[in-house]
Amino acid sequence: MQTEQQRITADQLLAARSVTRWRRAAVVIALFLLVAWSIKITVIDDTDWERIGSLGSIVEKSGRFLALDVSLLPKLIEPAIETLMIACLGTLLGVVLCIPVIWFGAANVTPFKPVTYPVARMLMTLSRSIHEIVWALFFVAAVGLGALAGVLAIAMRSIGFIAKISAEAIEDIDPKAVEAIQAMGGNKLQVLRYAILPQVLPVIIGVTVFEWEINIRRSAILGLVGAGGLGLVFFRQMNTFNYPGVTTVILAILVLILLGEVLSHYSRKAVI
Amino acid sequence: MSAPSATVVTDLPPWRRFKYPQSLIHFGALLGVLVFLAYSVEYLNIPLERLLTMFGKIGIQLSDRYFPPDIEYIQNRDYFGSVLDTVQMAYLGALFGLVLSLFLGWFGAHNVTPSRRLVYPVARLITMICRAVHEMIWAIIFVTILGFGMLPGVLALMLFCTGFAGKLFAEEVEAIDMGPVEAMRATGANGLQAFVYGVFPQVRVAFTGIAIYTWDVAFRAATVVGFFGAGGMGWYLKRNVLQIESERVAAILLSIILLVFVSEVASAWARQRVAKMQ
Repeated sequence: MQTEQQRITADQLLAARSVTRWRRAAVVIALFLLVAWSIKITVIDDTDWERIGSLGSIVEKSGRFLALDVSLLPKLIEPAIETLMIACLGTLLGVVLCIPVIWFGAANVTPFKPVTYPVARMLMTLSRSIHEIVWALFFVAAVGLGALAGVLAIAMRSIGFIAKISAEAIEDIDPKAVEAIQAMGGNKLQVLRYAILPQVLPVIIGVTVFEWEINIRRSAILGLVGAGGLGLVFFRQMNTFNYPGVTTVILAILVLILLGEVLSHYSRKAVI
Repeated sequence: MSAPSATVVTDLPPWRRFKYPQSLIHFGALLGVLVFLAYSVEYLNIPLERLLTMFGKIGIQLSDRYFPPDIEYIQNRDYFGSVLDTVQMAYLGALFGLVLSLFLGWFGAHNVTPSRRLVYPVARLITMICRAVHEMIWAIIFVTILGFGMLPGVLALMLFCTGFAGKLFAEEVEAIDMGPVEAMRATGANGLQAFVYGVFPQVRVAFTGIAIYTWDVAFRAATVVGFFGAGGMGWYLKRNVLQIESERVAAILLSIILLVFVSEVASAWARQRVAKMQ
């Protein structure tokens, strides 16, 4: 039913449309100006154009990377295995540390909602907002140089994402199974084990495998701050200006990540 | 109704989810994983005893060196300027990256790519390389080529966003309904027309959500990309880490956490609004 006030004439409609068109144009122009201003500040003013020189010198400098240092290859095998292992151990430790965060952070199973829920949510944000480089610096200071700092950094960085997705999965579960177990006289632990876990386990495994894949790429750079693996080799090649060696290390990282992608593809197929 | 006199079988083995050969495979796989983990702890020379003393050390470190954070240090114009630089770097990088990944999303989607033999694998390869190489490595390489400043940071973030959004875009395009595209092609539309009028309206909302998320992730990366000389807050962080000014480092970290939190809340709000428009 339309009342007299709701009826809109064609003239009003056209007028409204032209207003929205003007507003849209104004927004586009404002955005364009904002981008132009940022480009001026970040790119034009802040760059040392004399150091960059002409286009030819950029091409020449980039060209130095276009070679391979084959003699480096045998020295890369051990760091590559290290990188892979740091990623595996870090992801596993992350999953273990995740469990309490997931439990507290899912609104429907959290033990004491006013306190534990916000704390868990805050931990998730904290874990994700600090970059892995910063985590690694912190742990290198705490436990010394070496792979352990890398494992801990990877674990801390993984908590946030795994916990967030898993907690959201728990919030979305079918409550009927929980009620059924409760009706049979199951206690809280049994509810967790037989009603909630079977429903969310595929999600948790899926997100863990996904995070593991990302963690390979993260652990490949942790060597830059002294946490072992391929990053250390990369850093050394860069510092000795051995640019073909740098390219070789990057290619090794690519191979490792490709391997991880293939493995995660098959393991996800096996699970789901 | 009286129960029929059924014979109760009592000598059945207890119920198990997995029967004999399967259970052995499961057990073997679990054992293999555990052996691998134990071996990698051994291989990496991880001092497990340090794990136990670590907590005390971290506590002492936090209370002695990082506390109280030197908030006054970050309350000056230079630091606010570097925060602004970081924000600008992040959205310029995300913007350029998104423009590039739009093409990669088109060329790298199996169902609408112009050529499955040539363009599709190339687009996929570019996406994979951009994604696989960490933004820090891109930043270091661009700093060596172009020198210090924000331009290398923008370029590194651009490549990072290209890989990140390119993959998500391509997956989104691969999930569309091909009906409209085929209809457009049947009426003689070329590849660009089919993409703009047949594909794009279907993925517009999803693309907007991905774009907002990409900006969020780019901002998180931008806070530390300066660590190797690519401008923004990361440079402050690096300087104070090297000078072991831990209280200042703590203050900078707190400001990063706060900014990332704000950007995350903003992006979640924006994504929710975009999802409602659908």
